[in-house]
Amino acid sequence: MDVFWLVLTVLGLAVLGYWLGRTRALRSVAGDSRYLHSLPSYYGTNVALMTLVPAFFVMIAWLLIQPLIINDTVADMIPERAAQGAGELSLVMSDVRRVAAGLDAAVEQGALTEEEAASIRAEFTDIRARLGEIGVALGQEVSASTLRAAQVYRSMTASGSFWMSVVVLLLAGGGFATALMRTDKDFRARNVVESGVLAILFLAASIAILTTLGIVLSLIFNTVEFFRLYPIDDFFFGLTWSPSFGGGSELGVIPLLWGTFYISLIALAVAVPIGLFSAVYLSEYAPKPVRAFAKPLLEVLAGIPTIVYGLFALLTVGPFLQSVFGDDTVGWMQSASSVMTAGLVMGIMLIPFVSSLSDDIINAVPQAMRDGSYGLGATQSETVRQVILPAALPGIVGAILLAASRAIGETMIVVFGAGAAARLSLNPFEAMTTVTAKIVSQLTGDADFSSPEVLVAFALGMTLFVITLCLNVLALYIVRKYREQYE
Amino acid sequence: MYDAPTAAEQALQQHDIKISSRNVQVYYGDTHAIKDVDVDIEDKTVTAFIGPSGCGKSTFLRCLNRMNDTIDVARVEGEILLDGENIYDKKVDPVQLRARVGMVFQKPNPFPKSIYDNVAYGPRIHGMAKNRADLDEIVERALRRAALWDEVKDRMSAPGTGLSGGQQQRLCIARAVATEPEVLLMDEPASALDPIATSQIEELIDELRRNYAVVIVTHSMQQAARVSQKTAFFHLGNLVEYDDTSKIFTNPEDPRTESYITGRIG
Repeated sequence: MDVFWLVLTVLGLAVLGYWLGRTRALRSVAGDSRYLHSLPSYYGTNVALMTLVPAFFVMIAWLLIQPLIINDTVADMIPERAAQGAGELSLVMSDVRRVAAGLDAAVEQGALTEEEAASIRAEFTDIRARLGEIGVALGQEVSASTLRAAQVYRSMTASGSFWMSVVVLLLAGGGFATALMRTDKDFRARNVVESGVLAILFLAASIAILTTLGIVLSLIFNTVEFFRLYPIDDFFFGLTWSPSFGGGSELGVIPLLWGTFYISLIALAVAVPIGLFSAVYLSEYAPKPVRAFAKPLLEVLAGIPTIVYGLFALLTVGPFLQSVFGDDTVGWMQSASSVMTAGLVMGIMLIPFVSSLSDDIINAVPQAMRDGSYGLGATQSETVRQVILPAALPGIVGAILLAASRAIGETMIVVFGAGAAARLSLNPFEAMTTVTAKIVSQLTGDADFSSPEVLVAFALGMTLFVITLCLNVLALYIVRKYREQYE
Repeated sequence: MYDAPTAAEQALQQHDIKISSRNVQVYYGDTHAIKDVDVDIEDKTVTAFIGPSGCGKSTFLRCLNRMNDTIDVARVEGEILLDGENIYDKKVDPVQLRARVGMVFQKPNPFPKSIYDNVAYGPRIHGMAKNRADLDEIVERALRRAALWDEVKDRMSAPGTGLSGGQQQRLCIARAVATEPEVLLMDEPASALDPIATSQIEELIDELRRNYAVVIVTHSMQQAARVSQKTAFFHLGNLVEYDDTSKIFTNPEDPRTESYITGRIG
């Protein structure tokens, strides 16, 4: 049975179950819902959940695992000479899948019968021509082993989905029947439904966490692989970054970290004062209409994709800076791409981030603090400087650290604004590059995933991940530590 | 030994008028919250404002140091004279006014700073101390006056928010006293406190009367009777009756006052 129809059937069963469970519960107390343990809808929901959840859970697991098993079995059938190395094998496997899909299409269109599709032999029939007739184009002649494999692939997929349908329907029916049998006026339907909902919520939360774990693991394996090919201290302490795919690369991370740090520093130097001042203005001084207008406007800035900021850096800020500091004047700046260009634009990007978070934090300082200060004869600016900002400081520091994390992880602005040269220099008008930009450049193009020049991207990613993780942990720690101070 | 003055004695102890209000009206948007309030508050006297919730006593109190200025929709009309000078005059700076008329709020609101910095806050912003030793002295004097010195003298750098509720409120009183105000306004200063802390605050108020005019808003009639010499009864935005405390509580003139203090309304 098709997955779509299977889902629809189970859903239909659940709806039916809801209605039957509710009715049955009501009937057990002769229609007077006051004698039920729970509200009638809980009995219905119980039946619906028992029908849906186990069936869908098994279905999803089955759909994830079945292709893995089939691939494994089929891959064993490919003779050694056709598949050398992982790349070759995956090419052959995709051929197998294409032929299988072609046979499916042929059966569907009536060009082949089901038996023919299962027994057709490459030795006797020109498969490529037959499939070509019905619109399935194949790149090369189908070898006997590929066809065999495709036929096995087809039959395994077919029987797999047949058994999946059976199991899912059995589970749905079983859950349906069990829940309906248990429905009775003393059955604690509410408790069961609520623990069921709790389990669903837990599952959703753990998926997010497991995904993070998966990301970290995939980084770690590749990073370990990289350090097997390239010495670890050369990576962390090397002062030169010059990858060459011909071999003999120097992959020192220091220039990249320096670029990241320098650009982030300039970005924060722009974003923190401006963002903070605008937050103070918006939360303490701005009249209501101004605030109602300016705050959303500022937040729109946060919604602009960073690539647009990148274009802004490339087309406007860079040339402008060059006209001011370039060869025509003081001669500090050789090209439009520089640390300053990227830093300034990144700072502009971070302003709404800093200002919006700080504004919320300043607003959260209790009015009683302001009253207390005004009551002592303090002016508004004294109140802001000496009471409100100190009270809001932990939150503001947290906001700044979060902004720093974003600055460190930013890519597009760097690609467009800062250039691609990894360099160790103090001049902010020189082109430099960051860790993120280099990850992109190492992984794009014809990448061979066994060379250190490509694998270094994962080590860079891991380094970045650890740095931003530390920053975020620090931010959370600071925010938590001082939060209760004025509550 | 301090004896409560009898009604006759109190009548003799006439003090100067510190604050007098004439024909004061307060509006919150369209609501007329205070209507025609005329009252003379005496120096070195505790004046209590009593009345049911929403009668306008806190609003009127906040007029006395222009705290209502911080509320956008509030509008004050009429005259309030502090030492004969209209505080709503254009040339009066509300900031300087509030240094002369201090305020203690219903909920203790110490700043998230150390105990020392809380008390030193006012003196610092008004430049009252020439050097650190001066400031230390001001802080100690204020804390002694608020009867908190002995409890906190060994932990002046601990956060003010870490004190108990009653201590926090005395800290706020010390903070207000440290700026050497002439009038101290207290908006239900003991309503968030337990009976022991309350009685400490009340003793303190009686103590403060030597130096200041104290105006206290309270929901507790017993408290008004215990700490004040003059009492004003507010009802629905009107000042119903204003007289010596002993007279209000024993022989009120207005039937509404009598109903309130005997518990029939409010």
